Amino acid sequence: MQLIIEAIGFGIATGAVIALGAVGFSVQFGISNILNITYGSLMTLAAYVGLLLIEHGVNAWLALVLGAAVVGVVSVVYHRALLAPLVRRGTRAIAMVIVTVSAGIILQYVIVSFAGPESHSYGEQSGSTLHLIGFTLSAGQVAIIVLTASLMLGLHLLLTRTTLGKAMRATSSNRTLARSCGISTDRVSDIAWFISGSLCGAAGVALAITTVSFDFSLGSLFLIPMIAAAVLGGIGQPYGAMLGGLIVGVSSELAAAVSNPNYKDVVAFMILIIMLLVRPRGLFGAAWSTRRLMEG
Amino acid sequence: MSGDAGTVILDVDRLEKHYGGVHAVDGVSFTVERGSITGLIGPNGAGKSTALAVIGGYVSPTAGRIHFDGADITGYPMHARARIGLVRTFQMARVFGNLTTIENLLVAVPRQRGESAAGILAGKRYWRGEERHLVENARALLDTFGMSTNADDPARTLSGGQKRAVEIMRALMMKPKLLLLDEPMAGLSPSLSRQLEDMLLRLAGDGLSLLLVEHELDTVDRLCGKVVVMAQGRVLSEGRMAELRLSREVQDAYVIG
Amino acid sequence: MAWEYYLVVMLVYLGTDLLAVWGLNLEFGVSGVANLAYIVVVAAGAYTFAICTLGPSSGNGGFQTYIGGFTLPFPVALLAGALAGAVVGTLIGVTGLKRLRQDYQAVAMLVVSLMVATVVSADTGFLNGSAGLALIPNPFVDLDPEVARWAYVGVVALCCLIGFLVLRRFTTGPIGRTLRAMRDDDTAASAAGKNVIGLRLVVQAVGGAFGGLSGALLAGFIGGWSPSAWVYIETLAFLSCVIVGGMGSDRGVSLGTLIIAVLLLQGVQFLPQISSSPGLSEDFGWIILGTSTIIFIWFRPQGVLPERRPRYLRKSSSQSPG
Repeated sequence: MQLIIEAIGFGIATGAVIALGAVGFSVQFGISNILNITYGSLMTLAAYVGLLLIEHGVNAWLALVLGAAVVGVVSVVYHRALLAPLVRRGTRAIAMVIVTVSAGIILQYVIVSFAGPESHSYGEQSGSTLHLIGFTLSAGQVAIIVLTASLMLGLHLLLTRTTLGKAMRATSSNRTLARSCGISTDRVSDIAWFISGSLCGAAGVALAITTVSFDFSLGSLFLIPMIAAAVLGGIGQPYGAMLGGLIVGVSSELAAAVSNPNYKDVVAFMILIIMLLVRPRGLFGAAWSTRRLMEG
Repeated sequence: MSGDAGTVILDVDRLEKHYGGVHAVDGVSFTVERGSITGLIGPNGAGKSTALAVIGGYVSPTAGRIHFDGADITGYPMHARARIGLVRTFQMARVFGNLTTIENLLVAVPRQRGESAAGILAGKRYWRGEERHLVENARALLDTFGMSTNADDPARTLSGGQKRAVEIMRALMMKPKLLLLDEPMAGLSPSLSRQLEDMLLRLAGDGLSLLLVEHELDTVDRLCGKVVVMAQGRVLSEGRMAELRLSREVQDAYVIG
Repeated sequence: MAWEYYLVVMLVYLGTDLLAVWGLNLEFGVSGVANLAYIVVVAAGAYTFAICTLGPSSGNGGFQTYIGGFTLPFPVALLAGALAGAVVGTLIGVTGLKRLRQDYQAVAMLVVSLMVATVVSADTGFLNGSAGLALIPNPFVDLDPEVARWAYVGVVALCCLIGFLVLRRFTTGPIGRTLRAMRDDDTAASAAGKNVIGLRLVVQAVGGAFGGLSGALLAGFIGGWSPSAWVYIETLAFLSCVIVGGMGSDRGVSLGTLIIAVLLLQGVQFLPQISSSPGLSEDFGWIILGTSTIIFIWFRPQGVLPERRPRYLRKSSSQSPG
């Protein structure tokens, strides 16, 4: 029983990072209707940028902010320079997936060329362990949970209280209509990609902080759980992604605790496949979003 | 059961299609007589295109039955309907973009010898004869529609009107008994529209039945014998266009929508 | 003579790559089925070949555990590999039947690929887990090594010849036309009386057979097969050949395979030494693959040798050049 509770605690910590990444992924899909598979490698990039900074004495949390910012900028440039023009020329959705997967592969192996294939570590970042409500979590994990919660709150406020946020939601739901209402959809896209790219970067560094060691496959390993979380919650819906992240995180840890730990990832895979086949719009996707997912 | 299977080619019986809480089609019943051109009109949102989509097999109905040529086809998938002669065209002309114009026609014939397992295994000798025959038919159609010179052009390079013509030619290659047309004149120039109208009248004269969704009421008047008026998912009225024009009910429906 | 060995390796890899690319092109280039889990059918063929030709798992000191171990002759094992590819291909096809957006389906396929690899790696009793299978017997082990090598090249060449003839039956003529129509617009194809679901399954079975044969031939040549040989990104390597060469064109994708093979070999040699990492050439190979794919999608999505449709106007032959 103690094992279960600890697994849940662990699941919340993992789930927080998954939620962080899933929200960014979801926002990108919402704004540009692109499944950006490069997202995984971008997280890896952030982790290595963070590594570089930490090795030069920068504090881990500052490294997270800087890593997030770097990937935020890279994401905007990536979207503007490669993805948006391709979409404008009428490139089909399947070709866009092939492009983002290929770009992810390129980025991943460029990182390997420079940083080598061996594992790296941020070193002892965890600090003291805390016992809360029966959960045993490290200070680092708790900090990540707090960070994620604050970022989610910040995003929520942005989306609901600011003009920019409303513009983002409008562009997400109907780009042409938004444009005819005078919204500068290109500028909104840029900002959305920066924000979601930053979330991607933050997730990447957070992953590196919470794992003992990591290598160039860090991003691609966690991308699937994040996509699973995003789809579970209803792709394009940031709030759904948050909840989805928790569900995926906790269920994965529970499955690992109860049965073979090797099958931890399989839980996320199964969730994603089942959702796509049974209920593509996710738990909270509105009926209109189903149209985006069905043939079209 | 309704109607005499001999004179009625399509029998739509209390058809319903619900999308969540929206009743796009809410109990629609009408018939199409053999060799006639029947019109389906109504204001925007009346459910005409949805009804046509259900009849064509693109979406399955929530309730109701469809009888075609004496058989209950309610459960038939789209390709099965096409094979028994119930053929539809689409609102936005859909062509096979990377195939040539003539190939768009050749591909439309169902159950070709070359498509069967025997045909694939046996090779060219097995289907060569049928293929020659198909090419002749396709060539003849292209001549009729004046598109012989475009035979080898990739279909994606054709203009909107030409794509519409290809769609109709493709439907004709299938030797249909009933053709479902969803706004066939949309996007066509007035002269092309008249040409298409003449063609449709000629085809009906040869025994082809047509069910036509159309907004241009003058076109409907010229082409259609019986006209069914839909509003808010239901059949409001049916009769000849001239009579319907005078009907208060129909006028109101168009104003209120 | 080292170059002779090198040539043999190149030819065997080229031959097996061609078979796999032909199969993927049939599925994706001709029929529009975005099967991004294609590498799984290759793996299915390879593993099936292995468990057919190996003896029982208790043999050789029992250091590897796996199902099967039938010690079947080489040709039978090859056929079994092709059949396994067909079966697995059809199973994958069944998961893709729901009418989803193509990009969603593609991502689902990638996930399937990753998931199968994870499960196979984790279960040590099924196919010896992440270590994979080794000591797969070579059919020509009794011959002089150089002769044995070239005999294998002969086998691969024969399989390619037969494979190509079978392939043409599907990519040309009326069926080729119908599959391309399904690719261009599957709804319109249904409206034209084509049973799209049935066609998709058939195509994934045939494409799967090609992939399975490819995997079987490779496993027999290398003598081993492990999960590292079929990571999910391997499908992208084949996809690259299809896109660069010319989607939908048998000739095109064959040329594409040759181009990619040459690029990977030659391009790596011109690379300046960034680091002393021994795996660098392989890493750079992936960078080349990814970049080629994106460059072609951007500048020339129809590929080097685009698909050509037969002409009817001048009463010339109706033989499709495909």
